[in-house]
Amino acid sequence: MVNAVETRDLVKRYEDVEAIKGITLDIEEGEFFGFLGPNGAGKSTTIKVLTTLLRKTSGSVTIEGFDIDKDAREIRKVIGVQSQETILDGDLTGRENLTLQGHLQRLHGSALKKRVDELLTLVELSDVADKRAAHYSGGMKKRLDLASTLVHKPRVLFLDEPTTGLDPQSRIAMWEYLETLNRDEGVTIFLTTQQMEEADMLCQRLAILDHGEIVVSGSPVELKHQLGGDTITMSFANGDGRVKDRSKRIVSGVQGVTKVLDIETGLAAYAKNASALVPDIVRLFDENEIRLTSINVASASLDDVFLQHTGRRIRSEELSKVDTWKNHV
Amino acid sequence: MDYDFLFDVWHLFVRALKKTIRTPIVIISALALPVLFLVLFTQIFTQAGVVVMNPLMDSGGAGEAVVDDINSGFLSKMLVTPANRTAILLGRLLHDMVMVLLPVGITLVLAYALGATVITGAPGVLLILFTAAFFGLAMSGLTMAIGVRTKSSQAVAGLDLVIAFPLMFVSTALVPYEFLPRWAQAFSNVNPFSYVVNAVRVLMSTGFVWSTILAAYAVIAVFAAVTVGATLYQFRSVEK
Repeated sequence: MVNAVETRDLVKRYEDVEAIKGITLDIEEGEFFGFLGPNGAGKSTTIKVLTTLLRKTSGSVTIEGFDIDKDAREIRKVIGVQSQETILDGDLTGRENLTLQGHLQRLHGSALKKRVDELLTLVELSDVADKRAAHYSGGMKKRLDLASTLVHKPRVLFLDEPTTGLDPQSRIAMWEYLETLNRDEGVTIFLTTQQMEEADMLCQRLAILDHGEIVVSGSPVELKHQLGGDTITMSFANGDGRVKDRSKRIVSGVQGVTKVLDIETGLAAYAKNASALVPDIVRLFDENEIRLTSINVASASLDDVFLQHTGRRIRSEELSKVDTWKNHV
Repeated sequence: MDYDFLFDVWHLFVRALKKTIRTPIVIISALALPVLFLVLFTQIFTQAGVVVMNPLMDSGGAGEAVVDDINSGFLSKMLVTPANRTAILLGRLLHDMVMVLLPVGITLVLAYALGATVITGAPGVLLILFTAAFFGLAMSGLTMAIGVRTKSSQAVAGLDLVIAFPLMFVSTALVPYEFLPRWAQAFSNVNPFSYVVNAVRVLMSTGFVWSTILAAYAVIAVFAAVTVGATLYQFRSVEK
């Protein structure tokens, strides 16, 4: 079977900056694949190269078996692309936007009309189909934009941060559409995101991208599993380096702890039975007269995976949003 | 030229037309300009000059439209479809050609109401409209090339004027050739607008002087080939 997306040592260089530094990927047909990484990691650049919008510097790309150098036009017939910004013609109605996309994909007549109606129903815009898109709300525009990428029933869908800037309700709706497309219609989905929960929830497999390189790839479960269990994060009253170093030695010595990492707010330790270790850790700090200000236990997240491979959080503010963290002190 | 290509041109032409119709201010200014030109300029300019002033002075729309599509990302959205690249530009240019007919037609009607006549009759009027539209295509190609190159509507508006003003003032639109100073005659000899004005002038007041009319078409064809060609050439660098 032919792969939906295949790249070998893909490189994109702008004058003196190497935005993508040799990416090799195999995405199977029907897969829901994610690119997770911070801003500037090279996610959008990769999508632009894969969708024929940017010329690669070197390496090879095939989409559904079509070589990007020879068959860019064939590729454009089988892909759907949603870019990070919502792109619509505000002067046209929702229906006209979809119809124009259909025309550009060489569809016409009653078949196109039927497909447009179908999509308007799918993204729940039938009621406002004949209003100008400029008057839609942000969530409606995003849905129409998604629908406009689907008119020709693409086999591979490229989505660049499809839920960035959406309110929670619209985001959940978008996730549902994407899951339905992937599950019921077998559309291969290649999505980029900087949100761990999105990657975790939607993607069967993902690659973590940093500075134009894939640092690790696998299924979300696999990746988290490699960390060796849950995370214990600690912060200290006196945050100077010596306290942190001593604390690090103490925690590393606790039986069951597989790894201790420095993070901005203190330390992060990984262990299988993390909750059970908390009393020991607290007691040890007490004995060594180190004042803990907080200690939290959480199941490992993709952010921890990112941290382990790059030494950084994707976004530190993301920490405060994770609601599964339980306070134990 | 295959069927798909024409299909793309047609649908992008329709898109451009819908956008214009739904932005009434564009229509209003397209209609107001010829009236203004006629009222203000008939004392200074020759009648033929006023008739084709619109395609010269009001051709920025094509450039601005392509700048909008580049900056909003809509162009990228079209470029990831199999749509023909050339058709994307020609669809819009076709719209600008057709839109020229509106102000030029109005100018002719108003001029007629004010007592001007077209000696060559209805066929002559059709040829005048065609000449204006053809020249409009060349001018729109120019603003589009500027738009694709600079991706800035200010640049389109600014450069458009910088080019249009000398074309207008150093031409036979202002005064007949014989009354131009020598340096201006030299410029007028290579000024496409002079050829356009001359063709319209003979159609209005002399008759079917084919040497003048065909000379105009040859010059416009070269001018259009250069500006539309430049646009297509610049356009290739949009995908880098």
